Amino acid sequence: MRSTRISFTTLCIMLLVMLVMPLTLKAEETGEYIAIRKEGASRIAIVLDNLAASEAMQAEWARSLNATIKGGLDFTGLFNLMPAPLNIRNAQDGTLNLASIASVGGDIYAGGSVTKKMGKPMLEMHVSDVSGKPLLDRTYSGEETQLRDMGLRFCADLVELLTGKRSVFGSKIVFVSNRTGYKEVYMCDFDGNNVVQLTSSKSISLTPSISHDGTYLAWTDYTSGKPDLHIRNLATGLKASVGKQGVSISPAWRPGTNTCATTLSFEGGQNIYLIRADGSVERRLTSGGEINVSPTFSPDGSKMAFVSTRQGGPQIFIQDLSGGQARRLTYSGSYNTQPSWSPGGDKILYSSMQKSGEINIFTISIDGSGLLQLTSGAKNNEYPSWSPDGSMIVFSSNRDGRRKLYVMNADGTNQRPLLRMEGEQQQPSWSVSK
Amino acid sequence: MSNATKVTRRALFVPALLLLGACCSSKPIARVSPQPAKPSSQQATAASASEAAASSSAINAVNLGDIFFEFDRANLTSESEAQLKKNADWMAVNKTRSITIEGHCDERGTAEYNMALGERRAESAKSGMKSLGVDPARMSTVSFGEEKPFDSGHNEEAWAKNRRDHFIAK
Repeated sequence: MRSTRISFTTLCIMLLVMLVMPLTLKAEETGEYIAIRKEGASRIAIVLDNLAASEAMQAEWARSLNATIKGGLDFTGLFNLMPAPLNIRNAQDGTLNLASIASVGGDIYAGGSVTKKMGKPMLEMHVSDVSGKPLLDRTYSGEETQLRDMGLRFCADLVELLTGKRSVFGSKIVFVSNRTGYKEVYMCDFDGNNVVQLTSSKSISLTPSISHDGTYLAWTDYTSGKPDLHIRNLATGLKASVGKQGVSISPAWRPGTNTCATTLSFEGGQNIYLIRADGSVERRLTSGGEINVSPTFSPDGSKMAFVSTRQGGPQIFIQDLSGGQARRLTYSGSYNTQPSWSPGGDKILYSSMQKSGEINIFTISIDGSGLLQLTSGAKNNEYPSWSPDGSMIVFSSNRDGRRKLYVMNADGTNQRPLLRMEGEQQQPSWSVSK
Repeated sequence: MSNATKVTRRALFVPALLLLGACCSSKPIARVSPQPAKPSSQQATAASASEAAASSSAINAVNLGDIFFEFDRANLTSESEAQLKKNADWMAVNKTRSITIEGHCDERGTAEYNMALGERRAESAKSGMKSLGVDPARMSTVSFGEEKPFDSGHNEEAWAKNRRDHFIAK
């Protein structure tokens, strides 16, 4: 019935808008909301003092090291970092005023000095707890060009002291970017610094993967006109390729070996093969007429998780490399791909395309329990990859329009962009560096 | 709609039809089949060769059409079968030509999976053409996954155009 009662229609529209608006607002804020709720909850409060430096030259080094250390500790998401209060030093003798640390809620104090020894920077760091008990006293030295390394070594030492793990310092991320107009492979530091272009195929380069000791880079390359597997020794520059008939898709290195698994189709069907670093085929791992792609290995190299359409749409399966049937892992959702096995060996990250068309990142235990959704309401979130110590995850997301790289803590909190770069970035893979 | 617009549209209608007609009109096949002409001079050879090439490329553009797929599927639809028949007919006439079949996907889903799906789509067409009598040695396949979309839009209209096999004559 067409009503000409304008006030009623207006009322309906107003109600509808009022109902819908908060939902959309909440969806956009979801990531932030989770982070804030967790903020301060289980973080260690560190009073981070500025480094002391006597002369002008060392002041510059101190500034640089301050930024590296603060940025590095901040990146882990483990700490509440606070500047030193004004009364951090006792006026009479310049010793540490422990009471001032306690007064700002600090658990730990970290500070130090930068001096010049034989023309090179020397960093001395001192860490104590709020009761004054010394936790770490260490000196770091190196060339002036290694200032950042020195600062990050301290960060790794401190994080290892407090958590038992060295966190992400020193690790590298390889990824694909079309900044030049072509998709090429790039590498950057764990925090997005020092971006280096690794390929210049001027074609299409995809899905890079670095071997576990940091020696080899493998990727799919279209230079020949079709997708081939390329392998490069990052130290020597030596190259090998597998140019077999058909496709080569998404390589993954097997821990403890210099072999990588990749999908090849030269024998008909799309199956996963183990390839040696010289490009020769070691053996076939799956056999079937369906699609088998995206391998990832358990940390001991004995098992492989991968995507297969052997039971319909793409789902994740686990296979023991010594033989036997593959076991299906994912039953929730109809399109599950891009598995990544945790460094601890107990979980698998993957992306799932939902009914809405959104793609989100999930984590699941090896036995199929403990399904947890890590992203939501942020468009497409894909290609998750664990940091080598299992504390963080890098992934690509187009939540802000274009595909960019994001990092988050392993529990899904603290999601933020990794680096600013022109073009689109995708397919990140986190590994140790040589 | 304003009068000016109506008049413009009407005015363009006839030229547009003519243009379409020009593209579609099939030149007599006999002219294109490889009968080496007896050249009286070099110029004549060059002229007739480029003419043959031009008219053969005109035929290429028309008779090697794309085929399209449903989401996450690589099976041939009845429209695809019909288009493959036309493509196979062209190959029957142009016996020395071979083709590359490119398999493509829309941007949804993951790049690696789409690489495999694209290949299956290309192989599906090759297999279809083979059963229509085309020698498989004349057909090669390559998958571009989601890497080379035809339409860069982000809606079903664009995606439907990207889920395709594209045929290139060599």
